[in-house]
Amino acid sequence: MNKVEKKKSNVISDEETLKRIDTLGKEILDEISKEKNPHIDIPVRGLSNVLYNADKKKIELGNKVAKRYLFNVAHARSFMQTLLVAAFAKELISEKAHTTLRDLFYALKHTIAGTKENTINEQNESDSAIVDLEVALDVIRENLHLAANPKGRVVGNVKIRDSGDMINWSKLGSGGWAIPSIVEQIEFVDVDAEYVIVAEKDAVFLRLHEDRFWKKHKCILLTTQGQAARGTRRLIQRFSEELNLPVYILTDADPYGWYIYSTMKYGSMALAHVSDRLGCPRAHFLGVSMTDIDKYDLRAQTIKAKDVDLRRGKELLKYGWFKNKLWQHEINLFLEKKYKAEIQALTSKRLRFISEVYLPEKIKAGNFLP
Amino acid sequence: MTEEKEKDAHIVVPEVEEKVNKLISQYKEYSVSEFFKKNRQMLGYSGKVRSLTTIVHEYVTNSLDACEDARILPEILIEIHKLPNGHIKVVSEDNGIGIPKEKVGQALGMLLAGTKFHVLRQKRGQQGIGAAYATLFAQITTGKPIHIKTSIGRKLFECDLSIDVKKNAPVIKNEKEYSDHFRGVKIEAEFANVEYNEGEHSVYEYLRRTALATPHAQITLVKPDNSIVVFPRSSNYIPSLPPQVKPHPLGVTVSDLMDMASASGARKISSFLVNDFSRASSVRVKEIQKICPNIDLNRAPSTLTWAEAEELVKAFHSIKWIAPDMDTLQPIGKENLTKSLKALLQPDELAVVERKPRVFMGGIPFLVEAAIAYGGKAGNQRKGGAEIMRFANKVPLLFDAGNCAITASIKSIDWGRYGLKNFEEQPMTVFVNFVSVHVPYTGAGKLAISAEAEIVEEIRLAVMECARKISLYLSGLRKMAEKTRRKNIFFKYITEVSESLHRITGRPAVEISEKLRKLAEERTGLLEAEALEESTTQKKKKIGSRG
Repeated sequence: MNKVEKKKSNVISDEETLKRIDTLGKEILDEISKEKNPHIDIPVRGLSNVLYNADKKKIELGNKVAKRYLFNVAHARSFMQTLLVAAFAKELISEKAHTTLRDLFYALKHTIAGTKENTINEQNESDSAIVDLEVALDVIRENLHLAANPKGRVVGNVKIRDSGDMINWSKLGSGGWAIPSIVEQIEFVDVDAEYVIVAEKDAVFLRLHEDRFWKKHKCILLTTQGQAARGTRRLIQRFSEELNLPVYILTDADPYGWYIYSTMKYGSMALAHVSDRLGCPRAHFLGVSMTDIDKYDLRAQTIKAKDVDLRRGKELLKYGWFKNKLWQHEINLFLEKKYKAEIQALTSKRLRFISEVYLPEKIKAGNFLP
Repeated sequence: MTEEKEKDAHIVVPEVEEKVNKLISQYKEYSVSEFFKKNRQMLGYSGKVRSLTTIVHEYVTNSLDACEDARILPEILIEIHKLPNGHIKVVSEDNGIGIPKEKVGQALGMLLAGTKFHVLRQKRGQQGIGAAYATLFAQITTGKPIHIKTSIGRKLFECDLSIDVKKNAPVIKNEKEYSDHFRGVKIEAEFANVEYNEGEHSVYEYLRRTALATPHAQITLVKPDNSIVVFPRSSNYIPSLPPQVKPHPLGVTVSDLMDMASASGARKISSFLVNDFSRASSVRVKEIQKICPNIDLNRAPSTLTWAEAEELVKAFHSIKWIAPDMDTLQPIGKENLTKSLKALLQPDELAVVERKPRVFMGGIPFLVEAAIAYGGKAGNQRKGGAEIMRFANKVPLLFDAGNCAITASIKSIDWGRYGLKNFEEQPMTVFVNFVSVHVPYTGAGKLAISAEAEIVEEIRLAVMECARKISLYLSGLRKMAEKTRRKNIFFKYITEVSESLHRITGRPAVEISEKLRKLAEERTGLLEAEALEESTTQKKKKIGSRG
């Protein structure tokens, strides 16, 4: 096993986060003293401010910044909510406690004195206040000690330390290790792996885990169980950036699967502000591609594409990060043939086809899509 | 009462006259009471509530006209009493010039009397079917005579009065004459088949609206529960009498023509036309003769037949006339209407418009007065929401709103443009008074004004002019409300914001919130200026982009 070398990561320390919250508060107080309309600078998160950076291979926020004022009828309420979240986060961090978005919502929701109005009515209000604070402070919610719903599991020859506990990912039975929503605190102790396989589908994870694929091929096996949760994305990024491991992603052969891949790699439009901390630009698309369907004779396992699939396919063609020859070819192939395939197609062909033929061949040949 | 006055009290709707005249000519023994029974509806005596309103209407219009002619500020008292037997007793009292003893029977105890005398002057009485019908109605429903007390300022005369329906002649009993200070007319009459309520068509509503249109009158109503409502006088100005004018040929009906012909002193029909009508000349008469070659215009006017009169009226409408004189119109007047609407409705905002005279049907002058009262006691006080008050020559029109030019005009307005979307729900009263020597009613009942294009358009313009003023007021209100709303929003969040800032920076929350409160006050005004600036720059942009 290789000892893990400490690499510089873009982890923001709690001290740094606290400092940024304090600065925000002081700046506002300053404006009040100068009898100015107090405001918070919040980078615009709308589509108008989402760009694809081809050099960095990341979906990023542009530099449009909106000023949110207290004394503006349209802003006042969300200004108040952003500050509520900031004060709450400060306390969480100071007390080294974590909480969920739901808990934060309940903690902050109360009736405003002298009115019949609630500080926060629905969780989506506090959720969006959290994102506002994230972009305003240039931190991610994990830095604010706020957790999203965890999802995703991982196995492999890896030992980690999490909150003082040593965990061996190779000895966790059939379920593997459930990836928590915050992975900042995880320390990689021993890593014996040459690459990472990320499967969109739980079923594929189950098959490969049962076949002990990760042991035979010295890799880390991970499932996102659908669209990847933030903790899982961050973990994949850390594999790539801190451990320098190649990441191979396996999704269904349809526009939705490919978009899930692109989200892990480049970031998403909704969370463009966290692409830096969650994106994994060096990830590769392993399959299933349209060309694979012909190559591995999977035609019998395909499904007819629906109208929504075709529409989504046409949209993908327009995204900057799909604008390269290989992907355009793939997507056009899909639009032309009008069928799609699930990863399970590989197992339905023959149970161990995926672990014995498909994956080894593809990885050996380096047959990936960018 | 003067000669004119009592004549006026008996003017009836032409259609009714026509019917009666025909019937009387056919059956000598025709019973007027039978006629009445058959034509109650036309006379306004249909439905228990409406019958009572009609009775009060007859008395009140007579009283108002009696005062106006003599330049007296009217003080009118109407009492409605529920008697134990279910009957209703109406007491009507005024301070007018009174009826001379010898004219009492003719004024209140004869049907269709006096129709031979026509004075074309814009009058309330034109509306009236005649107070004598009320006498008959009392007689038919309760079998009782009415009781009259009147004085022209010298001796007071009291009597019971009923009608001999076969002879159509007054029956006067229990006469008394004595000295008293009273001047005016007091009538007490008992009716069955009538009912008092305070709905849209009630005596209450009728008096309320009459008071509105008659600012110089003080009207008092004693309700059956003995509570007293006073509609106070809001102006001491008595409108000047409209000048008497000869009728314009375009304004007369067939029965008008028949009446005038029978009363005319002229020897020939041709000279009758030239003498008794305005704008009629021998040239015009020759034109008429050409159109009606079969009518011998050299005959005496009294020999004119109904069919001939019909033909003549048709001819009147087919030739060109010089328009009638505009001076004959008598509106309430902007100043007086303003006073009276303010006094009665105490609105938050009031817009009153008096339009210039226009003509309809090719030459009949008319004039529209309109007003909108918003807020305060304006609007439908029982149901809430908007209320339309229709008047013809100051007399409230309570019935048949659906067929009226006034209703049609108001409904055709796009109220959303004036910030009054959902017109029905607005707390406002729309007042329209149609003024003309000849009101084109839709039917015999004189309930609604016919929706002639010129009239509808004129009413529309008048009401829209009022609506513009109300809309300005409302947008001002909205601005004020917006300012308050803004300030409230800022103040609402200050506590939360200060508390959060305290938790972040450790500075005392009280200190922060005090500063913020001060800032909020200043900001509210400032933002207003900014918003104004913004809207003007936007306007400029729009103009610029057009160019």
